[in-house]
Amino acid sequence: MKPFLETWVRRLTAGRVWKSFFRHGPVNTDLNRSLVITSNVALHLHPVKVRRDSVRFWYTIGLGGLSFLLFLVLVITGILLAFYYVPSTTLAYRSIKDIDNVVSYGRILRNMHRWAAHGMVITVVLHMCRVFFTYAFANPREFNWVIGVFLLLSTIGLSFTGYLLPWDQLAYWAITVGTSMASYAPVVGEKIRYVLLGGNVVGQGALIRFYVLHCFVLPAAMIGLLAVHFWRVRKDGGISGPQLVGTPERETVTAFPSKSYGLMAIVPGQDITAERYPEHYVLTWTHLIPKEVLATIIAIAALNLVSVFFNAPLEELADPRVTPNPAKAPWYFLGLQELVHYSALVGGVLLPALTVIGLLCIPYLDTRREATGVWLSRRRLVPNVIFGLFVVSMTVLIIVGTFFRGANWAFVTPW
Amino acid sequence: MPERNTGSDTSRPTRRRFLELLGKGSFVAAFGGIFTTTMRFLMPNVLYEPPTTFAIGEPDDFAPESATFLEDGRLFVFRRPEGLFAISSICTHLGCNVRWNAERGGFDCPCHGSSFDKNGKNIAGPAPSPLKWYELSLNADRQMVVNTRKEVDKNFRLQV
Repeated sequence: MKPFLETWVRRLTAGRVWKSFFRHGPVNTDLNRSLVITSNVALHLHPVKVRRDSVRFWYTIGLGGLSFLLFLVLVITGILLAFYYVPSTTLAYRSIKDIDNVVSYGRILRNMHRWAAHGMVITVVLHMCRVFFTYAFANPREFNWVIGVFLLLSTIGLSFTGYLLPWDQLAYWAITVGTSMASYAPVVGEKIRYVLLGGNVVGQGALIRFYVLHCFVLPAAMIGLLAVHFWRVRKDGGISGPQLVGTPERETVTAFPSKSYGLMAIVPGQDITAERYPEHYVLTWTHLIPKEVLATIIAIAALNLVSVFFNAPLEELADPRVTPNPAKAPWYFLGLQELVHYSALVGGVLLPALTVIGLLCIPYLDTRREATGVWLSRRRLVPNVIFGLFVVSMTVLIIVGTFFRGANWAFVTPW
Repeated sequence: MPERNTGSDTSRPTRRRFLELLGKGSFVAAFGGIFTTTMRFLMPNVLYEPPTTFAIGEPDDFAPESATFLEDGRLFVFRRPEGLFAISSICTHLGCNVRWNAERGGFDCPCHGSSFDKNGKNIAGPAPSPLKWYELSLNADRQMVVNTRKEVDKNFRLQV
């Protein structure tokens, strides 16, 4: 039996049809380990070789990749949910009930969508922290940090618009509060609220607008931004890492002596730089892909496990007449809600706007260009402490809003 | 040989420069127009929202000294010896429904902890302004009619 199978596999993989699919041979030589990356559209996001430092697990903790994986999970589960969901105020809540109770595997899909969304908010924020604390946004990567801030905003926007869709009490009042916050913005505030809601009250107009934003506009923006984000990682020579020491001289590649790569505007200079610091570079196929596959398996398994045991909440049908007490936004907005409790203009508009502007400016203000690629370098004590305090204060606000606020937003103790 | 105009001399208007500006200008104008019309497209002209003027029943449906919450209209109706008046339940902070606190004789908001006195004046919390007072009137059927587009001051009373 076995020789028979092997013969057929060999015949199949040696055939012209197979060779037209896969342009590399059996992946058991370094040449084919390179070709498998460059000749596969999904894998060629990767370079053929990556820095040894950048594939160390504890350097990145895989947070960027994990965020992307969760985004893919959200796209797939979201498309599946869209086969049943109806964006109408009279049918939306019922279609979610159907997904939860009568559609085969509907509940687990909705759970996965919800928990992956929460997970993505966490991994995106942690990825930003990783990039800050390793000073990975230093020149030439400033602009990719800026793209990253917009990716964070898209993630939050997707979460927020997704919240309205079930049309339950939480959805209705979270959106009432959220869009009222927009109306505090100077001059254009009321107009923004009117456009967001497609009217003056949270109703059918608002539901269909949030649906379009959630399913079309924001995912499209996200995919465009992701393309730029990844492309720039490649153009900047891979992700950041510590200063290289070793053999800096290039091993001039003379495979094509007739070509001048500089003239072709592929790389500066006359040769390709793949063999710079050879001792620091490893093959992607052998050193990164297995880790990515393993991380994907673990993450998907964990997400499934969580989705089997924990159900995505669904409150009662939206009732414009009754505000639940307390009316709480999703947890990642509770820090904002806590601020808004002090002042809607300062907490809901000015501070968030200043935070976003501050984040965008970070790579252009923090430019000492030392200790790149090192976690929590002592030489970057001051910026790290400032950013750390910022992250801690956000976390504290969220914890206060989640556990220490009860009816009428009065202070309560959770025990 | 006469000097050739390469278009790089921007100090004096030339045909080339004029056409260049015309081209760029029409480009900007076209995209400005598309942008403006798209923005305008997103602002609906007809809304299918609940009416802002509606009947709430006869004055005698409201007992003397009562505070009645009408959920559909999102307002409170008060009956006092000097007349009837209506106060909006929409919190001026972020739009939640406030609740009547009978013990204190005031309103509390469940969302962000604003509180208001018996006249709807904001006394604590983040609410920036008092609750709105709506105009009340009687129609031909002796039904009371609320107009939520018409605000009145806190001395308003409907005498019956």
